[in-house]
Amino acid sequence: MFSLAVVNGLVMGTIYALAALGVSLVVGIMNVINFAHGEFYILAGYFSYLFADALGWPVAAAMVAAVALVFAAGVLVEYLLIRPTYGNDMYSLILTFILSIVLQNAYLHIFGPYPKKPPNWVKGATNFFDQFYYGNQRLVALAAGAAVIGALFVLIKTTWFGRVVRATSQDREMAEMNGVNTVGVNLVSFGLGCALAGAAGVILSPIFPVTPTAGVAVALTSFVIVVLGGMGSLWGCVVGGLVIGLVESFGATYVSTGYKHLFDFVILLGVLLVRPSGLFGKPAA
Amino acid sequence: MKRLRWRWWIGAAAFVAVPFGLDSYALHVAITCLFYAMMATSWNLIAGYTGQVSFAHAAFAGIGAYTSGLLAVKAGVPPWIGIAVGTAAAGAFGLMLGVLCLRMGGIYLSLATLAFSEILSIVVQNEYEVTRGTMGLQIPGLLPTYSKLSYYFVFLAAAVGTVWLVVRLIRSDLGLSFRAVQNDEAAAAASGVDVVRIRVLAFTVSSALAGLAGGLFGHYLLLITPTLLSLDQMFLVLAMAVIGGLGSLWGPVAGAFFLEILSEYIRAWGEYHVLAFGLVALVVARFAPDGLAGLARAVRKGPPAPGRPAPAAGGRS
Repeated sequence: MFSLAVVNGLVMGTIYALAALGVSLVVGIMNVINFAHGEFYILAGYFSYLFADALGWPVAAAMVAAVALVFAAGVLVEYLLIRPTYGNDMYSLILTFILSIVLQNAYLHIFGPYPKKPPNWVKGATNFFDQFYYGNQRLVALAAGAAVIGALFVLIKTTWFGRVVRATSQDREMAEMNGVNTVGVNLVSFGLGCALAGAAGVILSPIFPVTPTAGVAVALTSFVIVVLGGMGSLWGCVVGGLVIGLVESFGATYVSTGYKHLFDFVILLGVLLVRPSGLFGKPAA
Repeated sequence: MKRLRWRWWIGAAAFVAVPFGLDSYALHVAITCLFYAMMATSWNLIAGYTGQVSFAHAAFAGIGAYTSGLLAVKAGVPPWIGIAVGTAAAGAFGLMLGVLCLRMGGIYLSLATLAFSEILSIVVQNEYEVTRGTMGLQIPGLLPTYSKLSYYFVFLAAAVGTVWLVVRLIRSDLGLSFRAVQNDEAAAAASGVDVVRIRVLAFTVSSALAGLAGGLFGHYLLLITPTLLSLDQMFLVLAMAVIGGLGSLWGPVAGAFFLEILSEYIRAWGEYHVLAFGLVALVVARFAPDGLAGLARAVRKGPPAPGRPAPAAGGRS
């Protein structure tokens, strides 16, 4: 039981971290919370189901296409809805919340209420030290999630694009004065944030098939992780994601599965009480 | 001013006289409109006047309804007392969440209220032995005899009371502080306004009013289900306030009547009406952020809304 809960927690935590990184990136740069984040996760799940299952594409191609389309959708949303709200944080909250309801209802009409599942990448299960059998699909998901997170860190920490992004999130005006096109950075990083939700979606949807409203829980978990890790902190997301993954896993194993998300909320309240700036955040002035 | 008061009386007379000419179905729609008017008006107090977005307004209505309903069913408490307790409970939860989140700024309140709302609906659905879950909890009526007309007047009184309270708050010295906080937090703080306290006060009052609306509506419907505190319900209230016009007194009331009556007309579309509302709300929030009230003002060529900056293009604040 114990070791199974640990492995489960690590798998979920990695994917949660991936989804939360998308939120954190956008918060750090634009000070905008995308309340439709979970719906982009679901969108990627539906796309990969559509391409791989209904159209019969190879799984890898379907996943890449799904994430690319979600990136494009994110860019479109930034351009059409978020850009006019610069300088007014409240409207971006309202707009993305309405967008999430619109998307949930659109999914319901297009794909119906029943779960849709893209095909598995691998078959079978692995025996863990004669303790338990663990699905290979979940192990591959863990590896894929870790790989995408690694790639993101390389992108942010070592490339030219990453420097521009970090400069913008540290001091927007100074970045502008040094010739950074911050509006362009907003556009690309919002798309990238959505694409990260999409990556989490394509990785996790073979394990947890997608439904029109399943995105709410994903988004909430991501938000809690972002607050726990500290708004805008990327390392905070990785640590926070693993913490939340393990807490949920142990909570579900030893307390109650129905109340899995209650633990998230308790953690959120605890963070707000004890250290509102989160584990890795800068304390508020 | 004189002419305005004159219009006022016509409106009041219409609200009192019209229900006598309505059949039972139309009365039900009118009562539902008044319920949503209370919800949208009280949400407007926090969103429109202090610029903080709460996603737990439906959840607070649910707290009001379930507190009063459970007290009546399990302990035989009279509904009037139950509703008062439910209102106080919603206010108390609002106070706690507000104190926790509001010193950190708006985004934290939005996140925490969204989480709170989801958790509450999970709890209500899982504790079906107490709440009867999605089956719904049957609760006694507010009035000894069931008469839609009487309920209409109860809701009318409550809605007028809600609007009155919000107007009083906004037009008081406190209201000036509200708007100062919304316009420019730093400047308000520098002028000696206790920003956090203003926000917490607005949020607590707004939550308590949602609890009142929910409690009354539960005892009118006689059956409360988790849909009362769902995010879909929250979305309806938000859409009404946004389409009507945030930061205006009559906007949310007009929005509530407009959307509720519209939804009765397009009921035939079934499930599509939430999608349709969503698209309309999205277009309004994007292109006419002052809603119907803003459009009306533009038509009358009056001065722009006091105290609410239009979303400006260009760098973030």
